[in-house]
Amino acid sequence: MNLRFAVGRLLALFRNRRLDGELEGEILAHLEMAELNAIAAGLSPEEARREARRGFGGIEQMKENHREQRSVRWVENLLRDLRYGMASLARDPGFAAVTIGLLALGIGANTAMFTIVDAVLLRPLPFPEPERMVRLWETPTPGHHNNTTTLTFLDWKRQDTIFEALSAEEPVSAAVATGADPVRLSGKLVSADYFNVFGVTARIGRTFALGEDQPGATPVVVLSYSLWQTRFGGDPDVLKRDFVLDGESHRIIGVLPAGSFDRDEARFWQPLILAPIQLNRNQHWLQVVGRLRSGVSIEQARAKMSSLRASLGAVIPQKKLGFAVDPFAQLLVGDTLRRSIYLAFGAVLLVLLIACANVANLVLAKGATRRKEMALRAALGAGRGRLIGQLLTESLVLCLLGGMAGIAVAYLLLHAAAPLVAASLPFTADLSLDLRVLGFAALAVMAVLILTGLLPSLQTSFGKLSSSLNQAARGSSASSAAVRRTIVIGEVAASVVLICGAALLFKSLAKLEQVDAGVRIDHVITMSTDLPSTAYPTPESATTFYEAVVQRLRSAPGVEQAALSLDLPLQGTRWGEWISLAGVKEALLVRVKMVDPWYFATLQIPLESGRGFEERDRAGAPPVMVINQEAARFLSSRFDMANPIGRVVGIHLPGYGPIPESPVSVQIVGVIRNERTGGLHAPEEPVAYVPLAQVPRQDVSLVVRTRSEPLAAMSGIREAVRQIDPHLPLGEVRTMEQVKERSILWEKQPTWVVGAFAGVAALMAALGLYGVLAHAVTQQRREIGIRMALGARPGDVVSHTLRSALSMVIVGLAVGLAGAFALTRVLKSLLFEVSALDPVAHALACVLMTLIGILAAWIQASRAARVDPMTVLRDEG
Amino acid sequence: MSENKTDVPYGTLDLLILKTLDTMGPMHGYRIARRIEQVAENLLRLNQGSIYPALIRLEEQGWIRTQWGVSETKRKVKFYSLTRAGAKQLNVEVANWERATALVARFLEAES
Repeated sequence: MNLRFAVGRLLALFRNRRLDGELEGEILAHLEMAELNAIAAGLSPEEARREARRGFGGIEQMKENHREQRSVRWVENLLRDLRYGMASLARDPGFAAVTIGLLALGIGANTAMFTIVDAVLLRPLPFPEPERMVRLWETPTPGHHNNTTTLTFLDWKRQDTIFEALSAEEPVSAAVATGADPVRLSGKLVSADYFNVFGVTARIGRTFALGEDQPGATPVVVLSYSLWQTRFGGDPDVLKRDFVLDGESHRIIGVLPAGSFDRDEARFWQPLILAPIQLNRNQHWLQVVGRLRSGVSIEQARAKMSSLRASLGAVIPQKKLGFAVDPFAQLLVGDTLRRSIYLAFGAVLLVLLIACANVANLVLAKGATRRKEMALRAALGAGRGRLIGQLLTESLVLCLLGGMAGIAVAYLLLHAAAPLVAASLPFTADLSLDLRVLGFAALAVMAVLILTGLLPSLQTSFGKLSSSLNQAARGSSASSAAVRRTIVIGEVAASVVLICGAALLFKSLAKLEQVDAGVRIDHVITMSTDLPSTAYPTPESATTFYEAVVQRLRSAPGVEQAALSLDLPLQGTRWGEWISLAGVKEALLVRVKMVDPWYFATLQIPLESGRGFEERDRAGAPPVMVINQEAARFLSSRFDMANPIGRVVGIHLPGYGPIPESPVSVQIVGVIRNERTGGLHAPEEPVAYVPLAQVPRQDVSLVVRTRSEPLAAMSGIREAVRQIDPHLPLGEVRTMEQVKERSILWEKQPTWVVGAFAGVAALMAALGLYGVLAHAVTQQRREIGIRMALGARPGDVVSHTLRSALSMVIVGLAVGLAGAFALTRVLKSLLFEVSALDPVAHALACVLMTLIGILAAWIQASRAARVDPMTVLRDEG
Repeated sequence: MSENKTDVPYGTLDLLILKTLDTMGPMHGYRIARRIEQVAENLLRLNQGSIYPALIRLEEQGWIRTQWGVSETKRKVKFYSLTRAGAKQLNVEVANWERATALVARFLEAES
């Protein structure tokens, strides 16, 4: 007959079959008993059967009647209400579009945000029994984590009663030939046990076998799924092929399954072969991951490790140094990331609340105009439950449509945001809309339904309906208006909280961006390179390359100056060492940077005293060192060294390649002004610079200052490098501006996210205010008309409406500010040099919200002022 | 044979069933039909089959409930009994009926 009937029938189908069977049985029993009765009364069996049938009446007709009676009542009601809800939405498409749009935005943003929360914080790591995965560290001082040495790692590895698998990992990169330009691929050197730690088996072939990480083993490599796809076109016979890394052929033994390892920076894995020369306890270079044996708790592991530490007292003389075991998951997600995610999720929840408030407000406004209809239906005998049911079903239609649109919004948001945020998230985070996320969306829809549907339903159906039959013609009751004003105040308050948070974060970001990096930022381009041991086996070959490449670069078109450095500014310094002074027990921990003679000039770091590096500071010449002001300050305050120039200090410096560090006496020859090494927000650290020519490294960065747009000079730079070494790839090509940008990514992303949410919230609050005022003006047209007829000027009407709006905004501001102050604790740790109580940011937020409020109110106020008293009075008289 | 019988008054079958279950306790469909006929002392023309749609309707309203039992002919049949809501509903229907008959009676008196 129609859709409702069809669905009802469909639902009743299974039930019907059973009930039909039961009825059949009952009829049979009935007829039998009637027959028996008739026989007992003296009829013949033949007559008795006829009599029983006659007494029963039409069987088929009765069956049909029976079926009709048992149709599922609630389904019918629900379907009727749904149809009615759809129809009433279709009658008011503006209302439908606005509410569904608001809900889609709220639910969509929340669902997208939840996907991140779920992937990063809630979901267990995508590895079997992730709680058994740990990271192991040395702690030079309590709370301070450091990599470990080869020998200590091997000591740990022998603790096989607690560790099922233990592996070191060391990032590596290799040149791979593709077409004209070689490419650099990131990889990892790992122990043979590595994939047992993660519990991952190969998709094709195998992972490393025991012994493949021993000296003399054939070079093998495991590929990530994405590398297999992109570079080998998913070739199923890839195991028969070789992979040439840094000019050396490696046998491909396996391909990993798709998933987490595709989001890791590494694309390939090679066995980490420990050279005899690395078997020492000086070089703290290994990162260690492990898997506990099943049944071993992390506390047991810690106890075992500290007893191991105690037994190694003879070989590890540093008294304070301890061993630490931490859950793998804990280290994957840093505190800043966790806080940023919670902050963004909190902000987006507020947005959803505001969206709900707006929808509830709209439904209330609509409800006010429907009181008459409701009263009529109640008078005609509809129960309150039915009325609430009907209103809730209409809200359900809204929420379902909003939810569906919201999931589409979430999909689009994730699609757009995933590449932007992926860099900040751990590699285990899989951002996809799956069942869990859809479940969350469904929960959000339910919550929204209750928030937006129940209150207006109760309001509409529990008000004194009988009196609304009389009142409704004159507009909504005072209590409804009060509820709506309260909702708007709540919206304003929630928006103010968000705007205050956003204002603080933006101010903090601005402060951060103003920090002087201490180096030239504009017109500088950087890139990394890694000299393969095959082509550059000796320190001499490396230094020859350094000199040649800088020379060639300087003559490249558009290049002003070029230099080499181990690390770039703002990106952290990998090397740290202790500076010791003869006759002094205490030592100073400094970051160590290997740079060439042109580094300071290229980045325009001014010399404070003494000299910089010169070409004469090469291998064989007396070892020299330049320190930054911070280091000089420490030396003078802690060691009473007023003028460090010319002083000789002791330091451990690494050898070339796998050669471990050894103690060297170096002379301090200069002091330079501080450059920001660890990022704009990190405090200045003491840094010691040593000449790259005296301490050559393989993984260095090129820093080039250009005359014009730096990226335009890239082709010339590539050509210059190719002339020196055609097989050497350049990686991580970034302008210094991009380097700076990346260094504040973690501050920038949450700021913009919260800022965007705050903007949406403010808009929604304005919309809510606008809606309430629009409704009020419509309801008060008569009153306004009378007042104007009695001599009120349009200006009075405008100010009356504005006053009403401002009263709501001001109460909202007060509540919002109280909320913002209550939440300062959350923000404190994310702010840079801005107090969480910063008056400027809060004042700005209040002014902004007030302006938005006045703007929303102004439109309605001028509408009120245009009321023509004659028309109004005639209409309603 | 049936000239003196009347049809079941419109809308009263529910009332008759509820009342029957109230006085007699749980019973199956045939017994209910027989009981109504017996009380009516053959003044009523009842299609016995028509009680089944009425029973399912009452069950859907929650006024009666069913249990499986065995009939005198050793068949598995449903036994119907009154629920608490059904007992309440019976009072309502009885009151309604009494009001209606009283009203009609008053009209008839007034006219005569």
